[in-house]
Amino acid sequence: MRVNPNPLPDVIAALAQTQQQINTDLQQIASGQSVNVPSDNPSSAAELIQNAGQASEADQFLRSAGSIQGEIQNADSTLNSVTTSLQRAISLGVEGANGTLNSADRQAVATEVRGIQSQLVSLANLTYQGNYVFAGTATQTTPYVVDPNSSSGVSYKGNSGINSVTLGNHFALQTNLPGSQVFSAAGGDVFQSIQDLINSLESGTGIDTAVTELGKASNSIDAQRVFYGNALNQLSAQQTYLGTETAQLAQRQNTIGAADLSSVISNLTTAETAHQATLQAVGQTARIDLFDFIK
Amino acid sequence: MSGLNASLATALSGLITEQGALQTTTNNVSNVNTPGYSRQEPVLVASDPVVVNPLTFGTGVTLQNVESIRDPILESRIQQETQTQGQYSSLAQALQQTQIDFTSNTGDIGSAISSFFDSVNQLSTNPADLSLRQGTLTAAGNVATSFNTAANNLTQQRTNLDLSVVQTVGQINQFSQQIARLNGLVGNLQNVGENAGTFIDQRTQLIDQLSALTDVSVIPSDNTLTLTTANGVPLVTGQQSFQLQIQTNFAGLHDVYSQGSNITGTITSGQLGGTIQARDRQIPAFQTQLDTLAAGLANAVNAVQAGGFDLNGVAGTNLFTPPPVSGVGAAASLSVALTNPALIAASSDGTPGSNGNAEVLYALRNQAVISSQTPTAYYSGIVFNVGNETANANAEQNASALVLQQLNDQRASISGVSLDQEAANLVRYQQAYSASAQVISAINSMMQTVINMKTS
Repeated sequence: MRVNPNPLPDVIAALAQTQQQINTDLQQIASGQSVNVPSDNPSSAAELIQNAGQASEADQFLRSAGSIQGEIQNADSTLNSVTTSLQRAISLGVEGANGTLNSADRQAVATEVRGIQSQLVSLANLTYQGNYVFAGTATQTTPYVVDPNSSSGVSYKGNSGINSVTLGNHFALQTNLPGSQVFSAAGGDVFQSIQDLINSLESGTGIDTAVTELGKASNSIDAQRVFYGNALNQLSAQQTYLGTETAQLAQRQNTIGAADLSSVISNLTTAETAHQATLQAVGQTARIDLFDFIK
Repeated sequence: MSGLNASLATALSGLITEQGALQTTTNNVSNVNTPGYSRQEPVLVASDPVVVNPLTFGTGVTLQNVESIRDPILESRIQQETQTQGQYSSLAQALQQTQIDFTSNTGDIGSAISSFFDSVNQLSTNPADLSLRQGTLTAAGNVATSFNTAANNLTQQRTNLDLSVVQTVGQINQFSQQIARLNGLVGNLQNVGENAGTFIDQRTQLIDQLSALTDVSVIPSDNTLTLTTANGVPLVTGQQSFQLQIQTNFAGLHDVYSQGSNITGTITSGQLGGTIQARDRQIPAFQTQLDTLAAGLANAVNAVQAGGFDLNGVAGTNLFTPPPVSGVGAAASLSVALTNPALIAASSDGTPGSNGNAEVLYALRNQAVISSQTPTAYYSGIVFNVGNETANANAEQNASALVLQQLNDQRASISGVSLDQEAANLVRYQQAYSASAQVISAINSMMQTVINMKTS
């Protein structure tokens, strides 16, 4: 049987093939990735994109959660201050209800309560990063302004809007309560009860009623604080979850896309050995033919 | 008639014939590295005998012919495989360039879409914040840029492939002309019974090269060849070649014509087939998918914008310039219509602090707004398609290269020059030559004997 007298093109093709394997292995080692172009593994490439999208989303949820947390904590501690102020007003009311006080004394107490009133207005007008926290969604409008024509002494300029922010798949957290709900709830109106206390101190009648009213307002604030406490709890639970998810997505990214270095290196060694062996074989068998032996 | 003179003539025929055979070996050795060369063998036959009653004497040897050793069926198989190889190597080359645009990096479409929605989620935490609004506008701009870049690269690639179509047609025409000319030379020689091996080798070599460029079907007829494309469009008939023409079509690309009719769609293999396939089918398909994604995303975002209110409480306007209604060119022309970040319609109630509409916008991220898929899923589908087509073309190319290599091996085992064989032949012919020379010298001395006998 006659054989191909010139096997060099085959050898060159074989060398090109081992060289290609070496190049691929080196690229994987250098990048650490098994999928460097989509054709390396089309379905992995597609999965990596979706996975990267999810990882990016989870990272963003964590950032957004961090941004929201500050505002909620601020609102929560502000409501704590409101409660403290209301408690102080209640003690002043009890003091003012003492029959031994004369009119001038009650006026002095009323003045002190006015101070608390303006303190409460400023607490209700809390801003966080340029937004009024208790204005509903009218965050650029001062929610409580002093209004002598109003029975409560203030009027509410905010709205009843609420915001929710998506922080996970199928999870959105309500981030605010409108001031009208927090401070002006029926049966617990903070500003109305303060104004009523001032009025009763000044007139000397109905102080006890006003104090009871204040107690209800304080209870109402405590009830609203539960919302913020819950929100903070949910936020922290979601952050924990997102942290786990981020880790899992990173793990998945690794599973799909990372080069298996030990097997790549082993492939590389095999390819290099084959490449060298081929080169050596070519060198040793180089062009000996019958002409060399004929004299 | 069986005299010394006759013996001399017989011995001489040996000398001449071995010399001719030696010439064949010399030629083979000289052409050991000539591409396409088929080794030649001398065809030696015994000369017609003479009858001198009652005996029959041989009259020596004749070099009847010098024959090129080749297998036409194998060669035709090689030509077919060369066409496949040409097709997939140009297709693979084109797609390998295409997939660069779809390889994950920081500026790719997938990352840009993710970043855009990330920015919207961040905006949702503080919808009145101008720097967050600017962040969303910038991210939208990056989405547009990533689409523009990919779409422009695809267009540019089609333009380059188009240039390659024009060049390839030019090469095909050159080969057709040369093959037609060789058809003439081969025919002339074969008509007078001469060996046209060298010209046939050259012609075969040219048909191989032509096969790398386009689909060719070879129809042998008396002493000549007819070449057509697989679809029957004539390229060469005898000594006449039919030139392919190119014409610019409505898309500004070049179509291939033969004798007045457009044959672009019928060319399936060879480099021309692969290039046309990439230019007219694969890349346009990716362009359409990109356009679908760009238009779908822009329309969805714009629709959400229209349902909300900007920072000033005014109803939202388009964030992206509305894509063409047909969707064609949407990716290339995608741009952000807004320059003022206050105009992002994040609010659902008209107050600046409302994030209701930003939330609706964010929800698009996980909504099946593009062909029943989320934007990211649709994009990953495009990447899968590009990767898959590229991987297929690579695999086909490798497989075909392997087959071609084996076929070429087989051809070389039949037609290739073996120096061992030639060396052995050289020895053989040389020895035969020497032997004939010895015979002549013996006859010479016999003749001397005869002459001396007379004169003494």
